[in-house]
This record gives sequence, C-alpha cells and structure tokens, in this order.
Amino acid sequence: MKAFDPVQMATPLFIITIILEIVLARFGKVKANYETKDTAVSLGMGLFSGVAGLLTAGVAAAAAIWAWQYRVFDIPMTAIWAWVALFLLEDLTYYWFHRLSHERRFWWAAHVNHHTSQHYNLSTALRQTWTGGLAGTWALWLPLALLGFPPAMIAIQKGISLVYQYWIHTEAIRRLPVWFEAVFNTPSHHRVHHARNPRYLDSNYAGILIVWDRLFGTFQPELDEEPCRYGIVKNLATFNILRVAFHEWIGMAVDVVRHPRHALGYVFGRPGWSHDGSRDTSATLKAAWVRQQEGNVQVKPDAIA
Amino acid sequence: MAAVGGLVGLAAWVGIARPGGPLDVERVSAILAVEFPGRTLDAVWVATDGSGALVRSGGMALVLCPIGDGFAARQIPWAQAVSSSFRNGQLRIDLADIAAPVATIALPSWPPKDLAA
Repeated sequence: MKAFDPVQMATPLFIITIILEIVLARFGKVKANYETKDTAVSLGMGLFSGVAGLLTAGVAAAAAIWAWQYRVFDIPMTAIWAWVALFLLEDLTYYWFHRLSHERRFWWAAHVNHHTSQHYNLSTALRQTWTGGLAGTWALWLPLALLGFPPAMIAIQKGISLVYQYWIHTEAIRRLPVWFEAVFNTPSHHRVHHARNPRYLDSNYAGILIVWDRLFGTFQPELDEEPCRYGIVKNLATFNILRVAFHEWIGMAVDVVRHPRHALGYVFGRPGWSHDGSRDTSATLKAAWVRQQEGNVQVKPDAIA
Repeated sequence: MAAVGGLVGLAAWVGIARPGGPLDVERVSAILAVEFPGRTLDAVWVATDGSGALVRSGGMALVLCPIGDGFAARQIPWAQAVSSSFRNGQLRIDLADIAAPVATIALPSWPPKDLAA
C-alpha cells in the first residue's frame, strides 16, 4: 500500500549512527552510556516490534481504506499543500496519541516498554512496542483518512515522524539553536519526556513539533539544575524481554482479577491509579515533590508501593 | 538479527556503561532518598558484594536490586523480608512483582536477631 517505507529506508542510518554514538562516546567525544543487556533489550524490542506490527497492520490498513471510502474531500497525494496540511495534522494526531498513551493505563501498557530503559541513547529509540497495534491506537489516525488523505500518504507521514523521532534519543546533543528548540522536538525536550524525575513526568509529548506541548500546557524545558534520571517511576529489575514487553498488561490483568468491581479504573484510569489510593500516579508524585520543595514533607509510609 | 548482535557486541566490547562501583551505606541512602523521599532509614544492610541493599523503614523493607549499571527499588512488608529464604549467604526476596520478580542479596546472615520482630 505504501509507496515507500521511510523507516525501512532509514534502517542503515540507524545502525551507522548507533555505531558512531558508541565509538564517539568511547573516545570521550560525546556523552553516551551503553549497558550491554540494556542495549540488547532495546534492539531486540525494535527487531521484533516489526514482526508484532505485521499481525495488526492488515487490520489497521483495511480500516484506513474503509474510512477513506467515505472521505469528505479528495486530497491529491501530489500537491505540496496536501503534504504540509498532513504534516501538521498527523503531528497533532501523534501528540494526542502519545498523551493518551501516557495518561491512560490501557494504552500505557502498550507504550511503557519504550520508557523502561534507564539509559537514553540511540538504541533506546528502537525499544518499540509489540502491542501497540492490539491496543488499537491506529484508530486515532482514521479521521485523517475520513478527511480525504490517502492511506498511503498517511502511512508515509507516520514513517517520517518515526524516523524524525529517532535522532532525538541522545545525550550527545545538548541544546540546538533557540529558534529550533522553540519550534521542533529536540534531544533536550525529549530527554525530559523520558525522565522519571517528578518535575518532568507527563510532559513533552510532541512528535516533530514541540509547539503542541506549548499550546496544550504540557511543555517542560530541561533544567540544568535538575539532570534527567531515565526510566519509569518503578524501574524494571529484569532484562527478560517478555517481561519488558508485557509487564504492564499482566499487572493490569492481575488488578482486574483481584478487584473486578474497579476494573474500569484499573484499565482506563491513569497509570498508578488504585481504588484505595494506595499507589501513586504522576499527579500524586508531582504533588509530593512540590510539598517536599516547599519543605513540608508529608509522605505516606506505604505510598510508593 | 546479525546487525543487532553486532551492535550489542560492540557495546559490550567498548565498555561504556555508567561507572558505578559497589554500594555503601552512604550511596544506598542517597539512592533511596530519591526513590522514597522523606522516608527514614532505620537499619541498612548492604550486600557483601556491594550489589544490592535491604533497608528497614518502619514496617516496610526497602529493597535495592542491581539491574545492569543501575538499580531498581521496591518496598515490601518488613515481615515478608524477614521470612525470605536465606541459603549459602544469599537472601532471596520474592518481590511479587512481574517487573521485579526476585531480589538476591548476598549477606553474612539473615534474619537479624534484634530486628526480626
């Protein structure tokens, strides 16, 4: 269906740049840390995410084609204005997809593995989901097909967005020119997104344009006084790739079985939501951090279960 | 697949993991201050090989598990930590967490006689 696949085309670039980042870090030219098992998990997740994606790609493509049959406009794939419009609308769609993937547990379960590394290097970019297709987030792009953008065009733009987001997973680039940092998602902005510091949680959801975060109030600049600590709130203590891929799904299922009356909350609530308030969400962690900053530390003994 | 193997091999060969070193009480305290802010540390047991730690904090046990060049922290009821199996100098703590199933900490003895209650 696609005229070409930007991700497939960029794969040699992924390999070359990871080699470059490792070699330059080895000689102290750039900042980067690679831990062997962590790298293996990241690259393994990336390798098999393509296979997992194939299982649902047919459904997603069929849905896009079906939606396109009922399109409001006929949008030509050859027009420059159409690509500009799609660039903006696809990036806006990505922002909300990404925000949903962080703010609701069902979709977080599919996305969390991308955040499980305690490292932030180019291999982290390839730590991709195996269950995103099953989580059905591809449906968020259907309005673009209904609007009239050909499914192939949407697929190409999604690929371009994914390739763009690859190079921002690095500590090798500190800051880019102010005008670029103001408009585009950059390594600095995305480091914040991958950080587990309470201050940085749930921010910078952008794909290519950081302007969406500025517009919707989720922008958080990287602060020199607060270096990013990477990973998730409760870091994994395993390199078992199956646990990395499925741990949140299993945790969610266990919660639903144990508390069936609160199933909706455990599935569609915020990550960390619990019926008795015994766990922490991003909001409670941020609130505790603010209290701590104000010198009024009130931490529940069992709050960080 | 070959490319993945090559890149992992390269990462292992050049050795650019985060510099760490064995844990001591000071470092454990610093890590746990971030993981469990505001918590008091009543007693600290650092693994004899410096690769993990167990801390009593009120009625809870804070467990620091090594993972690669970093750490993962969990908390469990103190009674559960006390009753963990101890064999051949290894304390094996069941964390009952799919993302952190077990912590193994090398200790000279367990449980501590004065704090087991």
